[in-house]
Amino acid sequence: MMRKEGSSILEMRHIVKRFGAMTAVNDVSLDLERGKLVTFLGPSGCGKTTLLRVVSGFTVPDEGRVILDGEDITDVQPNGRDTAMVFQNYALFPHMTVAANIGFGLKIMKKTKKEIADEVERLLALVQMEGLGGRRPHELSGGQQQRVALARALSLCPKILLLDEPLSNLDANLRLLMRGEIRKLHRRLGLSIIFVTHDQEEAMSLSDELVVMDHGIVKQVGSPTQIYETPVDEFVARFIGHINFIPGEVVGESNGHLTLRTCHGDLSVSQVPFPVACGDRLKAVIRPESIGIAAASDCGRTDEANVIPGRVEASMYIGAIIRYTVVCGEDTMYIDATDPQYRGILKEGTEVKLFLKKRIHMLKI
Amino acid sequence: MMLFSGSAILKRQADDFRHIFHRPGLLFVTSVAVLLIFLFIVFPIGSVLIKSFSVSYPMVSIVISDAERAGAEAEKKANESLFLIFGQIQGIEKTRVGKEGGTTVHTVRFRKEWDDLKGFNDIKRAIQRNRDSLEPMVVGAKMSLGKETTASLATYLEFFSSGRYYRALKNSIVVAIVTTLLVIPLAFCFAFLGLKGPALLKFPLRMLGLIPLVAPPFIFSLALIIIGGRHGILTRFLDLPFNIYGWRGVIIAQVITFLPLGYLMIENVLRSLGSNLEEAAYDMRATDWQILYKITIPLASPGILKASLLVFILSIADFGNPMLIGGDVPFLSTGAYLLWVSDNNLEMAAVFCVFLVLPSLIIFLVNEYILKGKAFTTIGGKPQQTERRPISPKILYPMLILVAVASCVILFCFGIIFIGAFTKILMVDNSLTLDHFRSPNGFRTLITSLKFSLGAALVAPAVGVTLSYILVRKRVPLKKVLESLALLGFAVPGTVMGIGYILAFNNPPLKLTGTFIILIINEAFRNLSVSLEAGVSKLQQIDVAIEEAAEDMGAGAVRIFFKIVLPLISSAFVAGFIYTFMVGMIAVSAVIFLITPGNDLAALYILNVAEQGYLGMACAISTMLIAVVLVCLGGLRFLVKMSKIEIF
Repeated sequence: MMRKEGSSILEMRHIVKRFGAMTAVNDVSLDLERGKLVTFLGPSGCGKTTLLRVVSGFTVPDEGRVILDGEDITDVQPNGRDTAMVFQNYALFPHMTVAANIGFGLKIMKKTKKEIADEVERLLALVQMEGLGGRRPHELSGGQQQRVALARALSLCPKILLLDEPLSNLDANLRLLMRGEIRKLHRRLGLSIIFVTHDQEEAMSLSDELVVMDHGIVKQVGSPTQIYETPVDEFVARFIGHINFIPGEVVGESNGHLTLRTCHGDLSVSQVPFPVACGDRLKAVIRPESIGIAAASDCGRTDEANVIPGRVEASMYIGAIIRYTVVCGEDTMYIDATDPQYRGILKEGTEVKLFLKKRIHMLKI
Repeated sequence: MMLFSGSAILKRQADDFRHIFHRPGLLFVTSVAVLLIFLFIVFPIGSVLIKSFSVSYPMVSIVISDAERAGAEAEKKANESLFLIFGQIQGIEKTRVGKEGGTTVHTVRFRKEWDDLKGFNDIKRAIQRNRDSLEPMVVGAKMSLGKETTASLATYLEFFSSGRYYRALKNSIVVAIVTTLLVIPLAFCFAFLGLKGPALLKFPLRMLGLIPLVAPPFIFSLALIIIGGRHGILTRFLDLPFNIYGWRGVIIAQVITFLPLGYLMIENVLRSLGSNLEEAAYDMRATDWQILYKITIPLASPGILKASLLVFILSIADFGNPMLIGGDVPFLSTGAYLLWVSDNNLEMAAVFCVFLVLPSLIIFLVNEYILKGKAFTTIGGKPQQTERRPISPKILYPMLILVAVASCVILFCFGIIFIGAFTKILMVDNSLTLDHFRSPNGFRTLITSLKFSLGAALVAPAVGVTLSYILVRKRVPLKKVLESLALLGFAVPGTVMGIGYILAFNNPPLKLTGTFIILIINEAFRNLSVSLEAGVSKLQQIDVAIEEAAEDMGAGAVRIFFKIVLPLISSAFVAGFIYTFMVGMIAVSAVIFLITPGNDLAALYILNVAEQGYLGMACAISTMLIAVVLVCLGGLRFLVKMSKIEIF
């Protein structure tokens, strides 16, 4: 068998999977880098789990090939693949002890008793579960079950570890903790991991690379910063965090600056990475935290390029930030102001001015 | 801690009692329900138990009148001469003299097995013969024949000392074990293939599993007799030296009869396990075979054990198959019937009943206290859309072969019944005929069966669902006990409930034997538990807040029940109705003790004509019975659909 010593651990080429009339995965091609933690992110029903099951072999794609480490595994059964999966509900065998669960795959591989015992010990230590090998799954907490499931998957020394929404059954604090643990394990073992989730915060904080999916299609692939700062379309922009859109028309271009005519007046913005001409319609994509806000009576800030007038309709105090809902003409904008303790809170009904930076991410309409 | 919780329970029960006594309406409805359960479930079963511990002796009592007037001297003389006479008569165990009002009564107790008429006549003749030496008042005495009953373990001792009786117990248990051991693996194969095998098998297997539920429970025996009986097709065709009668036939017939039930139960278990764990094992490099014996079977084992216990109980309680195809081999259930019919030995029949109940009771206790909570439940998650994955041929093909053979036997049996109904004598004179359907008795019994089943199907859910409401929603003491008592009627074999009803309702003021109503009551209360459980599970799904909302708006308890609860649990009522109706149409084991010539039931009539060798007619009435049940069920489903009640 030819083995390609490239950086790519997993390649998916034109994967299509239909369930009846529904197309769960529609012509997806991906190339995943070795040793990276990649997250499939999307709303439920977007096809991310189906894509994961195509990798694990439980779902046979109608079209396309799956190549793991240079080897075409499309027609290989799950029990012949060098992948290991952690299931959403952990799928621990309830009639076996923790040690037997972790040792299950090793036993199948016909390892000796001694080898199995040593390996189980090592894995228990790895997931910080020393001494709990004799317990049954139902005697463990959710987080512990999660660790056992991880250890069991790791026992196979898989080329790629597949995690199917592994944190969704845990409560909020535990989720944060396990997030850190998975990140640590990933660093320590240099594993290639695919992580499936619908939780964008989880995805942002964990991943080296994000694959945002919707309706069976990959919308965007990129690092968390790329996805957050330069979403390719409205769906991706809306899916990750809050967002404001200001549509407008290009009316002028001079020395690296564009003038965008919007309903709030002309905005002066930096050049965009794609060619534009006068008359093109664009949409400014602005995160709530990159908009500055001050009372209209405040004369302190006059240096900003773009200022939009508005009126505070509502404010929501979240602690670290305060989120204002500001009405500007016919639009409503969200603005996050940091450090509210220091800066004070603007009352509802206050006339305000909003400051927009020059560097604004733009989408074509 | 235990003590504390014990006293806490007692205190709560006492509170519940106090609560109910302050609500006359609730008290009344609950009392009626409790009374019905005690009267129609506990009392008959108790009667059987008491009967098994009692022995009746033939007894002749001689009432000497006018003893007062004749004077003490004459009376003494008369007594002495009677003693002399008794001394000459055989079979007497004990004599006794007593005074009742102004008259002297001699009581002569014969030995248990003694022919009572012979004893009676012996005494009568001896008195005639010694007329001269006896006082005239003795000669003119009134004699009567009766029975004397005392508490004793004699019947039990006789049961174990007589090989004939003891063998019935042994046969029943051995056949039940063998049947269970055959049914369960077969049922597992059916369930496994239906759920995880090729998708196109799913529907046919389900149908095959459900069809036998509408047929009389002995239909396979009937088919087997046509195939392999003394004059059966195979027996004659192959000139076999043996025939199907006996334990072989019973086992084969029972395996096919109980296969559907085992299949449905095990399928339920496998389905509830889901495929998640199997996938996990598959992901861990396990082969299909390893998944099967390391994951699937161990996980399903509590459920499989439960199914085994049920099949075992059903096999022991089975009446129709041993009756038809058992031949000379004694079994407990049929033995009890024969003891009643031909020997009128109700004591021994009662002892048989006790041994019929004992295994189920033990199993019930094991199930309740040892197996409870043993089922493996998987941690919830959203159900995955999983595809059927191909099973390895090493597992698929052996299972397919087993399932195919069993399916063929089932279909073949049904086919034989159907063809048998329309041919003169199968394989002898194969000309088509409708003669077998010209059976006035057949039609009459079918009508009776319909009336009977409808009656029972109205009573059982009415009582059961009402009771379920009281148990789930109201504060009533001793809930668990009431529920268990209702279950008792269902769990106890039909033979026991039949004999129990004979014992309990043969005397005034509740002399119901021989009436049509007792049949309906018997059937309704035997199946009460099904309606009760349907109601309980439905009520537990309905949020109590709905009723509280109604109460909040000022509705009273009665109005809430009729306006709010009843519409919501009507599905439980319909489910109970359909179940009771279906089992009523094919009921055999309890009602056989209670029918009278005027109100014979179709299933029993089939049994009867089959035993007499009119196999064609038996086939024809069976076919009609199945058709009637199917038509009724279809009609019901249609009605239910029209009325928009959800049940299935």
